[in-house]
Amino acid sequence: MEFYLTALLQGLCFAGIAVGIYISMKIFNIPDITTDGSYTLGGMLTGTLLTHALPLYLSAFAVLVAGAVAGAITGIIHTKLKINALLAGILVSTALYSVNIITAGRSNLPLVNTPSVFNVISFTTNVNLNTLIILLFIVALIIGLIGYLLKTDFGIAMRATGNSETMIRALGVNTDRMKIIGLALANALTAFSGFLMTQQQGYADISMGIGIVIIGLGSVIIGETLINWLNITSVWASLLLVLAGAVVFQLVLAVTLTLGVNANLLKLVTAALVLLFVSLPRLSLLRQHD
Amino acid sequence: MKRNSYLLIFAVTCLLAACKSSNKSNVPVVGFVDAFEDATIAQAKNGFVDALAKNGFSEDSGTIKIEYQNAQGSIPTLTQIVNQFVSEPVDVLATSTTLSSVTASQKTKTIPIFMMVSPTPERAHLLDAQGKAPANLFGTVEDLNYIDTSFSIIPKLLKPKGSKLVIGMIYNQSEPQSADAMERIKGLAAKLNVTLVALPLNSSAEAQLVTQSLLNKNIDAFFANPDNTVFAAFETILKSCEQKNVPIFTSEAGLVQRGAVAAFGADIYQWGYQSGLQAAQYLKTHKTDGLKPEMVKIRKRVYNPTAAKKYNITVPANFEAVK
Repeated sequence: MEFYLTALLQGLCFAGIAVGIYISMKIFNIPDITTDGSYTLGGMLTGTLLTHALPLYLSAFAVLVAGAVAGAITGIIHTKLKINALLAGILVSTALYSVNIITAGRSNLPLVNTPSVFNVISFTTNVNLNTLIILLFIVALIIGLIGYLLKTDFGIAMRATGNSETMIRALGVNTDRMKIIGLALANALTAFSGFLMTQQQGYADISMGIGIVIIGLGSVIIGETLINWLNITSVWASLLLVLAGAVVFQLVLAVTLTLGVNANLLKLVTAALVLLFVSLPRLSLLRQHD
Repeated sequence: MKRNSYLLIFAVTCLLAACKSSNKSNVPVVGFVDAFEDATIAQAKNGFVDALAKNGFSEDSGTIKIEYQNAQGSIPTLTQIVNQFVSEPVDVLATSTTLSSVTASQKTKTIPIFMMVSPTPERAHLLDAQGKAPANLFGTVEDLNYIDTSFSIIPKLLKPKGSKLVIGMIYNQSEPQSADAMERIKGLAAKLNVTLVALPLNSSAEAQLVTQSLLNKNIDAFFANPDNTVFAAFETILKSCEQKNVPIFTSEAGLVQRGAVAAFGADIYQWGYQSGLQAAQYLKTHKTDGLKPEMVKIRKRVYNPTAAKKYNITVPANFEAVK
């Protein structure tokens, strides 16, 4: 069971990415590739700041700001320079590679005897359980804040920007600014995922962000399936299901590993299992309507 | 509510599938972690397995169980693999290449880890405030001294075209040992009166482009610093260099087999073998007394006869030809 617990922890660490991608992809309909770079940025910055003995709360704050700046740059390139969102994200993500290397000064930064959010408070002596409790608390905080934000007038304007840009512009909302803020928010969350993950795995590495956007997308799509399936309209429930998607995605990987699947088939099996999961509602449509 | 029953069946299947019968037998279990797929790096695993077999731990005779997992270059997968081995728990962890070793070292402080193809704990930044490495780290490691010997072969074997020997190299910014090696070679080149042209790259996809731009700088030789990118893209580098008649030197025997002229350095198979011997000793005694991260013992001077002939390079007698 211990192993599934660690997979669950990993899934919860990806909550930030999942919610971030949910904001950029589902709310704004912007495919944001900045994720790969800003996740690593969060990780490398965390590694650098913690090894330089900066306190945790300052590091967390710095990571959030750095991620937001990265996202805002993508937003500015996309809206002000009228460059395709995918390309804008790729550009920023590529530039971030150098930023990340320069930030840390090296490509792999193990955290040895640095403080970590997971041992700030000790509820139990079992390290993983303690991590779980703290992670649940942090994730609840993230979901709570984002859920609340999406419920405010500002959040409704944000959601409307994704739904019908022309209409909301006619109502006097600056949609460019909305998109920039939205991307900044999404990437701040992504960088925060990097912050958590670095402490969870004990090191930051320049290649940690490769393909991470897929994990976010996978989580959102799994969540999306559940949302459509259960006819959910509430923002809270949607966010929770996206989070569940992130956890399921990691658990699927864990199950595949325990089954002793040949390592070469790992990705294939993961894809197949996710496909099965996502196509289940479609399969039920094949039944005769009685 | 038919679909809910589908969901239930699916969930139950998943859960059942996940329950592996964990009947702990007396056979020791080794969890072998590889971070990515590479022909040369894979030899380390063969060496490790052979060393265990020589000491009476082989899968064929049922005296050991080796669980092999490869993360295929994905860090989240790598972390999960290590978590799985730690929670089983396996008796021994074997880690090949830096990233696997660092991940394992951060995830367990109790299960002995036998590293291979990894840098010293100090170079991997794994030392604590007192300058001590984690107590469960064993295996075989390498510092940067090997580079000196490999690099200084080049002026001995090669006459410069111009007034000074120009050696080109590429290094991977995303690998600590690669960037460290480059810094080291920079200092070395100055001592040997050699001009070094070093270009950074970030992935094996860029190797061809960067190699071409190096070759346009009129280099006399190419030094293939053995990092993951060079391993992955070696054939590309080789092809470009052959077209321009530039010989390749390196510090790893596997690359000489693949077409570099000569090397003096660790043999990846022997590297794994040395770690395997340590692991076998631990499995026999279940004590870690006397075990510590050792330096690679077997370094070979090897050359590739075909490549040497192509470039008319006379290799000293103490070099042996690769098979």
